[in-house]
Amino acid sequence: MTSISFTLNGQPQSLDIDPGTPLLWALRDHLGLTGTKFGCGAGLCGACTVHFNGAAVRSCQLPVAAVGGANITTIEGLSESGDHILQQLWVELNVPQCGYCQAGMLMAAADLLKRVPNPSDEDIDVQMSNICRCGTYPRIRTAIQQAARTLHGSEQQKPEQQEQGV
Amino acid sequence: MKPEHRVQGIMNRKLSRRAFLVSASTVAGGLSLQLLPVNALAGNPSASQPTPAWGGSSDELSPWLRILPDDTVIVSVPTPEIGNGATTQHALNIAEELECAWDKVKVEFASYSRELRQPGSYAVGLQPFFGGHSTDHDRMPYTLQLGASARERLKHAAAARWQVPVAEVTARDSVLRHESSGRSLRFGEVAAEAAGVQLEVEPSIKAQSQWRKLGKTQPHKLQLPDIVTGKAVYGMDVTLPGMVHAALLQCPVQGGLLKNHEPDAVLSMPGVKAVVVIDPAKTPGSPVQADPTFGFEGSELRSGVAVIAEHYWQAKRALDALPVEWDLGLGRFWASNEKLAERQDQVLANMAGDPLTKAGDISKVRPAQTVEATYRTPLCEHATMEPLNGTALYTADSLEFWHATQDMQQAFWVAVDESGLDPAKVNFHQTLVGGGFGRRVIGDDVRTVVAIARQYPGVPVKVIWSREETTRQGAYRTPLAARYRAGLDEQGTLVSLQGETCFSGMALNLGYADMAYAADGGIPNVRLSTSNLPTHFYTGAYRGPCYNSHAFTVESIIDECAVAAGADPLQYRLALLEHWDPAWSACLRIAAEKAGWGQPLPKGQGRGIAISNWPHSGSRQRGATVCAVARVEVSKAGQLQVQQIDFTFDCGRIVNRDAVAQQIQGGIIYGLSMSLSEGLTIVDGAVKEGNFDSLPLLKMADMPRINIHFEALSGHDRFAIIGEAPVGPIGPAIANAIYQATGKRVRSTPFRHEDLSWS
Repeated sequence: MTSISFTLNGQPQSLDIDPGTPLLWALRDHLGLTGTKFGCGAGLCGACTVHFNGAAVRSCQLPVAAVGGANITTIEGLSESGDHILQQLWVELNVPQCGYCQAGMLMAAADLLKRVPNPSDEDIDVQMSNICRCGTYPRIRTAIQQAARTLHGSEQQKPEQQEQGV
Repeated sequence: MKPEHRVQGIMNRKLSRRAFLVSASTVAGGLSLQLLPVNALAGNPSASQPTPAWGGSSDELSPWLRILPDDTVIVSVPTPEIGNGATTQHALNIAEELECAWDKVKVEFASYSRELRQPGSYAVGLQPFFGGHSTDHDRMPYTLQLGASARERLKHAAAARWQVPVAEVTARDSVLRHESSGRSLRFGEVAAEAAGVQLEVEPSIKAQSQWRKLGKTQPHKLQLPDIVTGKAVYGMDVTLPGMVHAALLQCPVQGGLLKNHEPDAVLSMPGVKAVVVIDPAKTPGSPVQADPTFGFEGSELRSGVAVIAEHYWQAKRALDALPVEWDLGLGRFWASNEKLAERQDQVLANMAGDPLTKAGDISKVRPAQTVEATYRTPLCEHATMEPLNGTALYTADSLEFWHATQDMQQAFWVAVDESGLDPAKVNFHQTLVGGGFGRRVIGDDVRTVVAIARQYPGVPVKVIWSREETTRQGAYRTPLAARYRAGLDEQGTLVSLQGETCFSGMALNLGYADMAYAADGGIPNVRLSTSNLPTHFYTGAYRGPCYNSHAFTVESIIDECAVAAGADPLQYRLALLEHWDPAWSACLRIAAEKAGWGQPLPKGQGRGIAISNWPHSGSRQRGATVCAVARVEVSKAGQLQVQQIDFTFDCGRIVNRDAVAQQIQGGIIYGLSMSLSEGLTIVDGAVKEGNFDSLPLLKMADMPRINIHFEALSGHDRFAIIGEAPVGPIGPAIANAIYQATGKRVRSTPFRHEDLSWS
């Protein structure tokens, strides 16, 4: 057991824990923050995406020992009252289906928008490598692009319509 | 029961349109409303809640609908939410008639135990499972009635308070008004009085033309605010005081047995509390006659071992370190996919299986040209993003469990069967479901959780399948081969069709035996048969069960016939369906037109078309007819890119356009992933794939342009289910497009395994 201190969603946090425990399970089992999801345990699906010092990482691959002193943000801390522009658009555009992967999607998308204010289709293809089994990809793309336009008044052309009549 | 019979039973499981009574009472200062099955009152008119034969409380029913003093409307939903918005639709139906403001509506999951305390509850239009026909047109009158009955009671209560005729009271947006006097009351202000209103007759429900919400508004799913903030609770997220965690490993060859393991090797590892064996021979069995929706077949325990520890990570590490030896059993016979294909070919060699559909006499046809082909679709894993899991608290005389299931009735009875407890002592909490697609129907996961918790009583145990375990312990899409022999006359017209499907597992022939081309004499001589090649693999429902294979095989052979006839594949289909439900032709024409059918493309690019219907291919104006045109590009090296899907459909009418669009979108992408990428590899009876490195699902970058067109909707008076049908035509449309692009015919999925190179 090791004592590990870090900042979690803006608050100081301390844990006595096996330092090899993946951050995912530290969050879920030890801290009761179940918004971050277990999907594969191998860094392949992205359901467990959180922000590590501001950057999107897959928390199932990060031993909790590595977060000592770091700043960790989970879906529960993405915004104070659930009103991050992406959260708003995710609801407004009815993006999620089952919703299980969407916390990871939101954390990945929030990171993308911070780094690339007006992401192209290619940027989204490359950065949004999370898996959704329900098939919400087209709506996720639409929501990210709409968020970019809202935030940055993108000069980029409105993306070609992905689905007619939708 | 044979699996096929079982499944057809599911498909035919219709609501018994039982009479019901509306019962109102006061709850927490508000109005609560129930639909009571009339037969619940038989023989004892004063007892509205009879005590079931095996005992149990009869006074704990939660109502279907509650209106609280603050205007909040709480709708108790009997159907699990697997992401298609069933709970939202249920609530929207009620809101349509209730005339409440939509932002006052909240949903909660009903308890299946209601059925024990009030037998027949789930027969009155409210079904506890998601699959088959649980959300369609049949259910609407009941939810609409609940809303209407509540509204009328509120109006009467307001009229009484104002001393005015009830006909002068209007209800809208949770407010009751008396126009001429300008008075108004909120629903919540008269809810308690409304509970005391006795209506002589329940109000009739509105004509569709008067609907204000259904078909007119497109609300997002009610769960979304919780989902986007991480507050939503899936099975995986259930957290209870003192809860421990279990990681499990079952025999990698399904049907094999645990031979030996060494608990002592791991019991001293950090956090480890116990190692328990999952033994199929120790299922206690239900003490009363059970009523699982689909029977218990397929829900049996799979021999294995579980490590219980304080935290999941500790349990998983100890499990990985646990020495385990298996008796792999007879499943090893199935050494490879090739072995299965070889045996399928042997079965299909004589096409001697049981005939399901016969017309004319194929033996008398002397065709000018014969087209023969065999098609194959493999074992596929549902790969729900939420790995299998569940939580249970077992004590000597009770079981409480929390589970993400598609079927509350099935889950409940499986838990009774595995606990051996009186059903009155079993309490089940439905959670949100992180993907279903048919995997969470049969309840094998519920049974496993109960079997583990039963061996660690007094403490809640959360059992988590790793992704690898979820993949290797699937209840897979049935592997299927289909062989066809088609006869064409001098003009290329299809005059005979002989076919046989060979199933290895759950067998359902919808979309094959009732194919539209044969249903109306479009093909005069037909013999469609089926045969069975049992293996040890567990199979089950997989989004549009078996139809997802039949659509591929049927739409491929028709396309091959068109090519052999030298005909345009669109025109060939239109001619075959000339006398059929015109919506089929409309779907074909509109999809083709939107996709630019007929406009020349360079070599290496092609368009393909396919059409199908779920689950009523052989009936006019039933089910959902769906059509896709795929445009593909194949590089000379054989790299396939699907560029665009144009999609048309007819499910009659729709009540929430955005929800329909979303289901179609999801179905198309599921069909893309299934056809392009998915297929399990059999190695000595085991599934080789484990995690997403070897189980490649499509991602954002793989998405084609998807155009969903609503113009083929016929407006026929039905609201057919739409979540499964779109999976069907995607694969064959792509295969047919590949042929147009390259001249190569692909007869097996997934296409990534096919050599598509051309020169």
